[in-house]
Amino acid sequence: MKLIEAKDLKKIYGNDGVDTVALDGISLEIDRGEFVAIMGPSGSGKSTLLHILGMLDKHTSGTYQFNGKSMDQYSEEEIAKVRNKEIGFVFQAFNLLPRTTVLENVELPLIYSDVPEEEWQDKANAAVEAVGLSSRIHHESAQLSGGEKQRVAIARALVNDPEIIFADEPTGNLDSKSGRALMEIISKLNQMGKTIVLITHEEDIAAYAKRVIHMRDGKIEKDLIRK
Amino acid sequence: MRLKYGIQIALKSLKINRSRSLLTVLGILIGITAIIMMMAIGRGAEKLILGEIGGLGAETVVVRPGREPSGPTDIADTLFNDSIGEREADLLGQKTNVPDVIEVAPVVIVPGSVSYEGETYKPTILGSSAEFIGKNFKVFPETGELFGEAEIREKASVAVIGQKVKEELFGESDALGKSIKIKDRKFRIVGIFESKGQVAFFNIDELVVVPYSTAQLYILGINYFHEIILKASGPEYVDRVVHDAEVTLRDAHNIDDPDKDDFFVVTQQGLAEQIQTIIGALTAFLSSVVAIALVVGGVGVMNIMLVSITERTREIGLRKAVGATSKDIMQQFLLESVLLTLIGGVLGIILGGILAYLVSIVLSHLVISTWTFTFPISAVFLGLGVTGAVGLIFGIYPARNAARKHPTEALRYE
Repeated sequence: MKLIEAKDLKKIYGNDGVDTVALDGISLEIDRGEFVAIMGPSGSGKSTLLHILGMLDKHTSGTYQFNGKSMDQYSEEEIAKVRNKEIGFVFQAFNLLPRTTVLENVELPLIYSDVPEEEWQDKANAAVEAVGLSSRIHHESAQLSGGEKQRVAIARALVNDPEIIFADEPTGNLDSKSGRALMEIISKLNQMGKTIVLITHEEDIAAYAKRVIHMRDGKIEKDLIRK
Repeated sequence: MRLKYGIQIALKSLKINRSRSLLTVLGILIGITAIIMMMAIGRGAEKLILGEIGGLGAETVVVRPGREPSGPTDIADTLFNDSIGEREADLLGQKTNVPDVIEVAPVVIVPGSVSYEGETYKPTILGSSAEFIGKNFKVFPETGELFGEAEIREKASVAVIGQKVKEELFGESDALGKSIKIKDRKFRIVGIFESKGQVAFFNIDELVVVPYSTAQLYILGINYFHEIILKASGPEYVDRVVHDAEVTLRDAHNIDDPDKDDFFVVTQQGLAEQIQTIIGALTAFLSSVVAIALVVGGVGVMNIMLVSITERTREIGLRKAVGATSKDIMQQFLLESVLLTLIGGVLGIILGGILAYLVSIVLSHLVISTWTFTFPISAVFLGLGVTGAVGLIFGIYPARNAARKHPTEALRYE
């Protein structure tokens, strides 16, 4: 079943009367359980696409259906709810809260959910365990290495058991060894059934994915499925 | 998001920037401290003055010559005005003129000091009836007796003195029967008041009372009174006594226009109302000054909230990305500014209370022994209400700015 169905998506930024076309007619379908890498030079629109698919941003024209429901049918509150429950985000810069422990960072999405507080501990523990950081759960984020920080970010994305995880160059700030370790975790999540969409410009990172989409100038250039 | 987490997040962020938060609320803190001190001291002063006025007795009506004083020069006018004399006292005492009056007591004030064998002391010297003062202020003689009508009629040279006067002039030795000098005239001490301290406007212990007729003739050389105290037959008749006294005196002095009165009438209730009006006006004035301080403090809070929100742009973006609605973000930052100002309010209430207490200790030791510390509970609620409101009003604009941030732009913010 299709999780994501986009048809002719366009995104135009209007800035001081000069319109910049970031997405120029993207049509794309992603099934549940897929592992998709989006590649392309900077300015090709891959981040914009990820933000729109992840409901952080709105497209200018075209149609976008998430989970069988058109984006236009979601209210602002409902979009927040989808971001909270069905989508997990991982960013290049980790974006952990300062002076906050691993546990509190991972629990962050739960604050905005309707999950009862009694279940928080279990959910957070499970997510932290999935990224192999159980021993550091009470450490503050500043005490962690880059690779560990990104694993905390993955645990945070995972805590509400979402359908899909969007990762925007998750290994961009990591050395190649921690990058590989992180990709192992992401691959494992995919094997456990999570849909993964990640942006990268490194071939060996993209190699973990089963499907690679190449973008250029706001358009899909190639869409390859590996055997 | 539940309120509890909002409060936790806000407290945490305030704690992270502890010194900045404290400096920010300093303006609020000072404002609230000022409000609390003002209310506590104002209430103390009001209580003190009303207590003294209360000592006059609810059924007391005082008639004074001249115009009602509205400044220091008018008070001098009252002292040297001769419009109230023996004739007026007689008229006011007649049942046909003022039916509800049961007692008429003329009073003159004698400036100067008293001496006994080289010892000199400067007490409050009243020419009056010692009997009347005893009855009116509920003080009894410790030894001897209080003179009355007969001594006044005879213009007798007798005096009743307070405890402090006795101590200053005679020390431990016996004073009864001895003669003290006031302006070269000797007065025999016939009675000594028990120790009573401050009653109404004077201290009984520092009082010397002589017959007013004697004081008029032999000391002051005047034939008028400084005031006439009337006693109504009950508090409920005070208004009628005031009215009847005014009519009687206007009639006697051929005055048609009440604005041209050459006398004025004071009652306990009237004085209390005046004092309350003065204190109320003073409080209102000071409150408006404090309000300015609070607005300045509020602008400081708004400023620092805007800085904080700019600093935390990425955090806002992240929170939205993990499911926070704009309402959640708005609530979080509003809570933060309200908690910030409330902390200032609580600290201000504590500091204001302590300072007001210290002031009351100083006042009661050095100036007015009857001053008591009063801490109005209403000030606490007012302080908390005002600071909460300041946090809310000055927090709305920054919080709305935060809530309106677009998630992708916020996440990209460097």
